[in-house]
Amino acid sequence: MAIEEEKKFISLINEHQGLIHKICIMYENDPDVRNDLFQEIVFQLWKSFSSFRGESKITTWMYRIALNTAISGFRKQTRNVKTEDLKEMHFNISDSWGEDREENIQRLQWAIRQLSEIERAMIMMALEEVPYEEIAETIGITQNNVRVRMNRIREKLKKLMSN
Amino acid sequence: MELDELKSIWKMGAPSFQPKDEDEIAAMLKGKSTSIVDKLKRSAWFELIFTVVVSIGLLIYALTLPLGALKWISISILVMFLAYTFYYVKKLMVLNHFDPGNENIRAHLTSLIDNLSGYLKFYKRSYTVLYPVFFCLFLLFIAFEQGWDNFVENIAKPIVIINLSALAAFYFFMSTWVVNWYVKKLYGNHLEKLKKLLNDIHG
Repeated sequence: MAIEEEKKFISLINEHQGLIHKICIMYENDPDVRNDLFQEIVFQLWKSFSSFRGESKITTWMYRIALNTAISGFRKQTRNVKTEDLKEMHFNISDSWGEDREENIQRLQWAIRQLSEIERAMIMMALEEVPYEEIAETIGITQNNVRVRMNRIREKLKKLMSN
Repeated sequence: MELDELKSIWKMGAPSFQPKDEDEIAAMLKGKSTSIVDKLKRSAWFELIFTVVVSIGLLIYALTLPLGALKWISISILVMFLAYTFYYVKKLMVLNHFDPGNENIRAHLTSLIDNLSGYLKFYKRSYTVLYPVFFCLFLLFIAFEQGWDNFVENIAKPIVIINLSALAAFYFFMSTWVVNWYVKKLYGNHLEKLKKLLNDIHG
């Protein structure tokens, strides 16, 4: 029975591991710490797996635990990517959006890392097409609040990416 | 720039990663957690076991002692340790009910802050009270052992006053500066970070 449960869980993680990896990448710069975070998220998901009753979508449950672990974790502090690091990324800054696909992707990922941990969680879910209702449920705020915050985050990203 | 535009950029280049295979995932389930709740649990278990072991040792030692100051000091410490044992058991029960899967980020942060604040307050209060209590007990039992008249006569000697003042200063230093430093070093900085995150959610 326990082995069956473990197999079911491993296959679930295998199927949705992209979600966990994306959170790890957005919350940790150091590859070793990122790996530790991945392991910690999987461990926390496993601990809560038996109490998951399917009341919410499996991905909502995964986001909730993964983000709780990433945000409130007690890990070795690593340096965040600061504004000056943008220069180290050797961007070839073009005049308008859409000219360089690779550059746009890197800029967006960099800009997201400059946001606060809570804002990062919200924008990541929004970019992954998670409905506002689920974002509100995961963070613990109202849908209206999500809308207001998303507008602010969008403005911040716009500024960061055009600098 | 609209959200849809950001979504299309995000989808074009989702962060690349090295997928884990099933064996790697299975190995992760047997690891040791680094979460703050699990660290608090490990600390509470360590303190509980330490308190119980020291209490048993102290009880055996106290039983061999003749009536006197040392016996009374041992018994007083045993009573205090008993109170600590109840606290650690209660703490473990609270921590065992902590399940991040059932809580949203705001509720999770609120519970963590409450737990951690309670834990740190307890640490601070218990040691701030404990050191002066030990000091007063020390004086009381010496008075008990020597007899009140002898004690008053001895305590009035300049060298005893100097030694007792030095000891009181040491107790004061231990119960204030060292305790504050230790409490902050334990989880104080992390608590500040959690409060900032909660404010961010409210903001």
